[in-house]
Amino acid sequence: MAIDKVVEIPITVEIPVGPQHPAVHEPILLKVYADGEEVVKVEVNTGYNHRGIEKLCEKNTFYKGIFIVGRICGICNTVHANCYIRALEQLLDITPNRRAKYLRVLAMELERIHSHLIINAIMAEMVGFDTLFMQIMLDRERVMKAKEILTGGRVLADYMMVGGVRRDIDDTKRERIKDLLLRLRPRIEYYKKVFEEDETITKRLMGVGVLRPSDVTSHGLIGPVARASNIGIDCRASDRYDAYDELQFRVITRSEKDSWARMMVRWDEALESLEMCLNILENLPNDGNPVPDERRLPRKFPEGEAFTRVEAPRGELTYYVMSDGKGMNPYRVKVRTPSFNNIINSAFMYVGHSLADVPVVLASLDPCISCMERAVVIDLEKGVVNRVPLKVLAGGKR
Amino acid sequence: MDVSEKLRVLEGFSTGKTVLKPNRDVYIVESGKIRDVFKALIDSLGVEGFYLSTIVGTDLKEEDRIRIDYHVVVLPQERNIVIRTSIPRSSPEIDSIVDIVPAALSGECETHDLLGVVFRGNNFLRRSFFVSAELTEKGVYPLKKDSGV
Repeated sequence: MAIDKVVEIPITVEIPVGPQHPAVHEPILLKVYADGEEVVKVEVNTGYNHRGIEKLCEKNTFYKGIFIVGRICGICNTVHANCYIRALEQLLDITPNRRAKYLRVLAMELERIHSHLIINAIMAEMVGFDTLFMQIMLDRERVMKAKEILTGGRVLADYMMVGGVRRDIDDTKRERIKDLLLRLRPRIEYYKKVFEEDETITKRLMGVGVLRPSDVTSHGLIGPVARASNIGIDCRASDRYDAYDELQFRVITRSEKDSWARMMVRWDEALESLEMCLNILENLPNDGNPVPDERRLPRKFPEGEAFTRVEAPRGELTYYVMSDGKGMNPYRVKVRTPSFNNIINSAFMYVGHSLADVPVVLASLDPCISCMERAVVIDLEKGVVNRVPLKVLAGGKR
Repeated sequence: MDVSEKLRVLEGFSTGKTVLKPNRDVYIVESGKIRDVFKALIDSLGVEGFYLSTIVGTDLKEEDRIRIDYHVVVLPQERNIVIRTSIPRSSPEIDSIVDIVPAALSGECETHDLLGVVFRGNNFLRRSFFVSAELTEKGVYPLKKDSGV
């Protein structure tokens, strides 16, 4: 066969970033292809942490599932458990009392604060501020302590239960949590100011990883990533689950659309969550015991299906639970975590930036790989063109 | 035009309607029309008018079919609707929508690896990206009810 086309590909460098890498804090592999310093293509490979959680839930009872899903993520375990138990409550037609709903929100908002603090700390480290990382992590300990006082667990809470929560708080605990939060507030305000005013941080983050609103929706990106591109999606405001229908809060959005905006959304949300926690502690309803008698909860579930959403720190987290009404185990449990969308569907964001920006863009998406437990390869468009550089061959977009 | 008005386009495709708790409208459509449904959604709502939240595949072994739910969030109200379709267990194939709705990529890849559904036109499908190689080498799809996992 005669050769009628010659494709000349210049020397490009393939750089594996991860799965164990100083710039990546969790097991993920970004296979980066660079033309000089410019990124022309990225493949996202995950799956280093697959644990078969959905199958495990099918093999265990509805109630054991609460503790299984609580172990999906070490950072946002109360939102996982909350989303799952609310699906169970939908199947059983159970509504917890107001005190329980307020306590659930308190636990979830404390979690949001420490989750946002940790990713902002990691971002500080990424841009070279190790001291700032240490300081933020030290202040994060206050929230961890508050979570421990509330739930009994500093990391894994196991706080949610069908029909309520598993522990109540008394006035002494309430005051201790309040004291911790009041001492934390000026620290978060200070860190926010540092991110706003420090020239090194702003130069490093502004204009990097700009995300257009149409890309956000078409690629299903959610949470602070979407809100930093001026798309105000927030399950707390739309689904109004638990006590969110009674509490006042702002949905934080920004219009800059870049990595800096994503971090600033998180600082503002941490402050908003802190105010919500203080509000809850001041106005905790007294309409009964929030702890259900677990021995009286129904063991067998009626036939039915429920789909619940929760606003996790990283965005919309969804649970689908189906009961066939025949046994004590769910027929199907489907978990979709925010990082599953935000990390797998976002390979296009790195293209055109320099190699040094890759960790910054990744950190700005707040990846939670233990939540994803998935893997995928993303390829780019290909075209056969004579004498074209790889970045044109790659098409620049998926 | 309000959202309910815009969602009327789905009624032309819908062969049935039900509700998923809590208050999620479910539109049941034929599997062969799934691309048309999403094209109609884009025409009616615009690219920024909705996002695909997730794809849920369920093996209904006794009914000899695999059910696929596309969970869509309509913006700006964040109204959650479900496009539901079914395909036979013996030939689990359906057209991919990844070229018109890129957000489907992760869900289609996951449903393929765990349930064996082939999304025609999705070039990124492959085994072993969720499931360990020892299972995929045996051709096992772990979320199928008769997989033995």
